[in-house]
Amino acid sequence: MRWNFLAAFQSVMGPVRGGDISQAFGLMGKGMVGIFIVMLLIYLVIVILNKTTKNSDK
Amino acid sequence: MDQFSFLISGVSHIDWKMAVMWAIGGLLIWLAVKKDYEPSLLLPMGFGAILVNLPLSGVLGDSGIIQWLFRVGIEASEAMPLLLFVGIGAMIDFGPLLSNPRMLLFGGAAQFGIFFTIVLAVLLGFPMKDAMSAGIIGAADGPTSILVSQALDSSYKGAIAVAAYSYMALVPIIQPMAIRMVTSHKERAIRMPYRPDSVSKTTKILFPIIVTLIAGLIAPDSIALVGFLMFGNLIRECGRLESLSQTAQGPLANLITIFLGITVAFQMRAEAFVKWDTLLIMALGFVAFVFDSVGGVLFAKLMNLFLPKEKKVNPMVGAAGISAFPMSARVIQKMGLAEDNQNHLLMHATGANVAGQIGSVVAGGIILSLAKHMAL
Repeated sequence: MRWNFLAAFQSVMGPVRGGDISQAFGLMGKGMVGIFIVMLLIYLVIVILNKTTKNSDK
Repeated sequence: MDQFSFLISGVSHIDWKMAVMWAIGGLLIWLAVKKDYEPSLLLPMGFGAILVNLPLSGVLGDSGIIQWLFRVGIEASEAMPLLLFVGIGAMIDFGPLLSNPRMLLFGGAAQFGIFFTIVLAVLLGFPMKDAMSAGIIGAADGPTSILVSQALDSSYKGAIAVAAYSYMALVPIIQPMAIRMVTSHKERAIRMPYRPDSVSKTTKILFPIIVTLIAGLIAPDSIALVGFLMFGNLIRECGRLESLSQTAQGPLANLITIFLGITVAFQMRAEAFVKWDTLLIMALGFVAFVFDSVGGVLFAKLMNLFLPKEKKVNPMVGAAGISAFPMSARVIQKMGLAEDNQNHLLMHATGANVAGQIGSVVAGGIILSLAKHMAL
């Protein structure tokens, strides 16, 4: 890898800037948090549905 | 001789890259027929790769059938992957998940490989949209991978489709290796008795509607993916549309599968596919699958730190949270029995596996939403 003063470093496919790396990590954080928020909401909904519709088939 | 030049015009335009693609097409067909690796997709893709890489191919161009199928079926509105999702939704029974909803958490955790791979791809110097498209291979879901890479206009759409379907077929090889890297025999032998709660018909009907609302409000770009998956499931669960449900699971899914594979091959033209970066994309796809399993397992181990001994989760069930349904569940069942022949993990793993279906489409939608915010 070669150092280039315009980029953090020169990688296999092209230059990589510090901003790109922090953007990618930010994306990872937001993406995983977003997925867990959705899954937790669905979890909550299932618990409520199971409790409230327990006898509905009888 | 000039009068017969029309007979050699095709031959005279052959180049080495086309020959490479014929070999790749042949390999995909061999994997499909001989090894039974996702034959419903790999065979059409393999044959399509040969068709689009014959010189002066009549399937390309403005009046070419494959180019037309691609323009109408994928490029215009991702119709083919979404219609396939209706069929997939109709095939899924969310019962094991609804009776054991904590499996949803593994469906989320096992999407870790997607984002880990995005970071890795950026470190390798791929532009962000290609990094996100490479990462989505980790969704372990063909339609999601095709849709996201198409929407992001990735330069590697063909490689991404090939990688997604190939690695899905290789789950029985990739997952055991990844799981053994991060677990001990003692952890893999943890027993999980199955005591499901009963699930009412009303819950099964309301579930797809409510999931669509939640996912759609939080990640609007996931509405197409989640919506069509849940629409198929609603047709199945409503109890009034048996013939439509059978049609969605059977003829619709088969029809779309036939044309999706051969249409995706449009992205396997030699000039776009035969590049060193394609190999890197394939390698990144492998990393995505490995770290999906690792993410699910490590999350299960984290949960176990807070659970009492009798309620501990077998970490392998975390790995079943990837979307490769039902292969992953079967792999975990087999691995569980190998460690302890009384430990049946299938129903837990199936719950996690169907949760992974939801997790992967939500991940795809979130990636599209984030890409929009980043103005990619």
